[in-house]
Amino acid sequence: MPQQIKYLFGLAVVLVFIFLIVRHYLVSPSFGQYGHYRAASLQTVVSQEIKYGGEIACTECHEDILTLKNKSYHRGVACEVCHSAAYAHTQDPYEHKPPAPRTRAYCPLCHGYNPTRPTGFPQIDPVRHNPAKPCISCHNPHDPTPPVTPKECEPCHTEIARTKILSPHAPLPCTQCHEAKEEHKLNPRVALPSKPRNREFCGQCHSQEAESPPKILQAESPPEIPRVDMKSHYSGFLCWECHYPHYPEARLKKEEETE
Amino acid sequence: MEELFERLAFSVKEVTGFIYPNEIELHWSILIVVYPYLTGLVAGAFILASLERVFNVKEVEPTYRLSLLTALAFLIVAPLPLVAHLGHPERAFEIFLTPNFRSAMAMFGFVYAWYLLVVLLVELWFEYRKDIVVWSKKEKGLKKVIYLILTLGASDLSEKSIQFDKKAGKLITIIGIPSAFLLHGYVGFIFGSVKANPWWSSVLMPVVFLFSAIVSGIALMILLYMVITLFRRKPVDMSCMDKLASFLLYAMILDFSLENLDFIHRIYESEESIKILYQLLISKLFISMVVIQILLGTIVPMVFLAWTKLARLPDELRRLIYFGSAILTLIGIFSIRWNVVIGGQLFSKSLRGLTTYKMELLGIEGLLVALLFLVLPFIILYILVALFPPWKEAEVELEA
Ligand code: HEC
Ligand code: HEC
Ligand code: HEC
Ligand code: HEC
Ligand code: HEC
Ligand code: HEC
Ligand code: HEC
Ligand code: HEC
Repeated sequence: MPQQIKYLFGLAVVLVFIFLIVRHYLVSPSFGQYGHYRAASLQTVVSQEIKYGGEIACTECHEDILTLKNKSYHRGVACEVCHSAAYAHTQDPYEHKPPAPRTRAYCPLCHGYNPTRPTGFPQIDPVRHNPAKPCISCHNPHDPTPPVTPKECEPCHTEIARTKILSPHAPLPCTQCHEAKEEHKLNPRVALPSKPRNREFCGQCHSQEAESPPKILQAESPPEIPRVDMKSHYSGFLCWECHYPHYPEARLKKEEETE
Repeated sequence: MEELFERLAFSVKEVTGFIYPNEIELHWSILIVVYPYLTGLVAGAFILASLERVFNVKEVEPTYRLSLLTALAFLIVAPLPLVAHLGHPERAFEIFLTPNFRSAMAMFGFVYAWYLLVVLLVELWFEYRKDIVVWSKKEKGLKKVIYLILTLGASDLSEKSIQFDKKAGKLITIIGIPSAFLLHGYVGFIFGSVKANPWWSSVLMPVVFLFSAIVSGIALMILLYMVITLFRRKPVDMSCMDKLASFLLYAMILDFSLENLDFIHRIYESEESIKILYQLLISKLFISMVVIQILLGTIVPMVFLAWTKLARLPDELRRLIYFGSAILTLIGIFSIRWNVVIGGQLFSKSLRGLTTYKMELLGIEGLLVALLFLVLPFIILYILVALFPPWKEAEVELEA
């Protein structure tokens, strides 16, 4: 055997031997007991502080809420998402009370309109969607089904309905401006509803002479209706040539212009 | 904490579209860019050295020993960026102590150890043994001790044992080529096998990494050889330079074709990720990919190198072109690594948004540390060259 091989081989054997000795002292004895990890680390993990109780823990005392929620649209949202970590509460419910997010700012974290959310996920514009009231005044957080299901005209004219509900004309029912026979809902094209035909129609509420507030709205404590002078306010045009009747904008435009 | 929030606040402003919260900040920083760059240079320099040995390319002989020393200098530094990136660097050694054969990442330690201990050091030892033995007799003081230890006691200088050194060296080079492929192909494999990341996940990744490694290794050797001969006030061996430049050109053509193949393949497949990758390319990566990597780092040097092949240019101009091309290529390959590592983290797994990378300057994962790791190999190389002069003149001639 050449001299080189002898010495190189000797060196390799020494190195491997040193490695094995070092390994013997550095690798924890419990390594590999259950798998490719230090079995003693399980103890370390177990001894960590528990923060979350988990939904099943809530069943014990809030079964009604859990049952309600799990049948609702929020079945996929766990209790502690909204109420924050509540393990301490499950141990001593009176000493530790989990917070409940009652403010309006909270729900739009998930439901505020954001173009990158998946299509079909229920989203609202927090500025326009029934403003000034907390969400939970209309939606039960544990069963948030919208308080009204679309009926009357909405199922077919959803876009107009959804537009109108955000507009200053929200309090006006469709039938205020369109006379629709029952037949229209069964056979729409055969019995088309009426549409306003002239400026005077809008004048019923918006002319300076119109009664205030108009009879139709008296029941619901109506807002102050803005008035125009029917003679001078762009006479010669139909009102809806400029104002979209399902979303009339005027003061909004004015604000933008003065900005 | 405050500082963390500040960084996050900066990044959030740069986010476009939708992105998951844990994707805003990049986890793999510039250090992880430096790491494949360094291993690429190692593999490239080594493969260049093997050319001379295995395929008997006589022209490149002047760079043979230098390439091996360069490979060693860079290999020593290669794992440092990885270790510096770890929160607990001392745990890095666990991958040797408790090897997990099913983890590709954990296998790095073994690929590295194999390459360093079995290939590079042994090959260098056989290559230099005769010289070391002679030096150990001639030198004095500390140097003598170093050389003496390095002989490992094998001081036989008979004709037969010198002949054995040559044969053993050749054998190890032959083992070394697949090992160098493994070393850098492995790095490509790590990225290519991340199936959740459409920018990385590609079977071509190891191959593309390998060829870009060869390109960068040759470019580095051209540069080093020219600079060193300049400092030594020696004439540049033009036939060696021409050969190296040819290799560089051919390797670049191969590398560029492979990259384009990958690119066309992705466009043709048009998986759901294609839109966001396109966005990434035209926005965040435009400068580093289109301008630096493709235009300046690949096309410009290729055109110039091809020019030196097609026209008869004076030596002076050729040297200038080789020098410039090598620098551009090295920058280009660095931006390849950048575009892979950083680019792959700039888009969201939702495929709907992009984030940005804010490089630190001073931190452990910052620019300065990265620069340190890029300079360190040259310092090590300087010491190695001082100990083991790789020039022909320094080689010991034995009287028969
Ligand atoms: C051991 C019984 C028990 C368990 C388990 C339990 N709770 Fe309660 N929880 C109570 C009681 C009792 C109250 C009423 C405390 C009071 O009004 O002072 C309460 C009140 C609450 C409140 C209202 C606090 C408020 O400010 O009014 C929330 C929210 C709540 N629990 C959430 C949870 C959640 C989430 C879980 C599961 C992780 C859970 N609880 C598990 C007993 C329990
Ligand atoms: C979508 C967010 C959300 C989820 C999910 C949710 N809660 Fe609530 N919870 C609220 C809000 C908001 C309130 C406050 C309601 C109020 O004040 O009218 C509340 C109130 C409560 C209360 C006190 C008032 C009451 O109705 O008795 C309890 C108890 C409670 N939640 C338990 C639970 C449990 C148990 C779960 C899981 C099964 C759960 N919550 C899941 C948002 C949520
Ligand atoms: C963690 C995110 C999250 C939070 C916070 C949250 N929700 Fe939801 N919400 C959901 C999910 C998920 C659904 C189910 C969507 C589906 O069925 O596709 C849902 C459904 C709804 C729906 C049913 C919409 C429909 O008609 O399909 C309403 C209404 C609703 N949430 C209101 C609220 C209100 C009010 C709050 C605040 C108390 C709230 N949500 C908080 C996630 C959330
Ligand atoms: C004044 C009562 C009221 C308030 C306050 C209210 N909503 Fe609604 N919400 C409704 C009604 C009615 C509907 C169904 C009709 C519609 O789509 O507008 C609805 C529908 C929704 C829907 C389903 C939309 C869809 O496209 O399916 C979501 C989500 C929702 N609300 C969330 C919220 C959130 C979040 C808040 C608080 C920021 C809130 N709501 C406040 C009455 C209310
Ligand atoms: C069963 C679905 C359905 C329902 C419910 C329904 N509509 Fe229609 N509506 C239609 C269709 C279909 C048309 C015809 C659209 C077309 O021809 O382009 C129409 C047209 C109209 C028109 C336009 C007439 C015209 O001359 O252009 C008005 C106004 C109208 N509907 C109002 C209403 C009102 C108000 C209600 C609620 C009382 C209502 N619709 C309920 C389906 C429906
Ligand atoms: C303030 C009065 C007013 C109210 C309230 C109103 N509309 Fe209209 N609507 C009009 C006018 C005016 C037109 C005619 C526009 C035109 O001819 O260009 C019209 C046109 C229409 C049309 C046919 C043209 C189109 O835009 O598609 C439909 C359908 C319609 N309305 C449906 C509805 C429904 C459904 C509602 C209730 C959700 C409703 N409208 C509420 C005033 C109103
Ligand atoms: C039944 C009464 C009534 C009728 C008919 C009516 N409106 Fe209105 N209009 C209102 C009410 C109520 C408001 C909201 C006032 C508020 O919110 O301050 C309003 C607001 C407006 C505004 C102001 C919007 C803004 O930016 O604040 C315009 C413009 C307008 N209506 C145009 C019309 C046009 C055009 C017609 C005819 C197609 C019409 N209205 C028919 C009741 C009516
Ligand atoms: C040529 C376009 C045009 C026509 C036609 C038109 N308007 Fe306007 N209207 C405007 C503009 C622009 C404004 C806002 C600036 C202003 O006050 O002149 C406005 C403002 C209003 C306002 C809000 C006034 C206030 O004090 O805030 C009401 C209400 C209104 N219009 C109702 C009507 C009615 C009812 C008709 C039909 C009789 C009508 N408009 C026809 C262009 C028009």
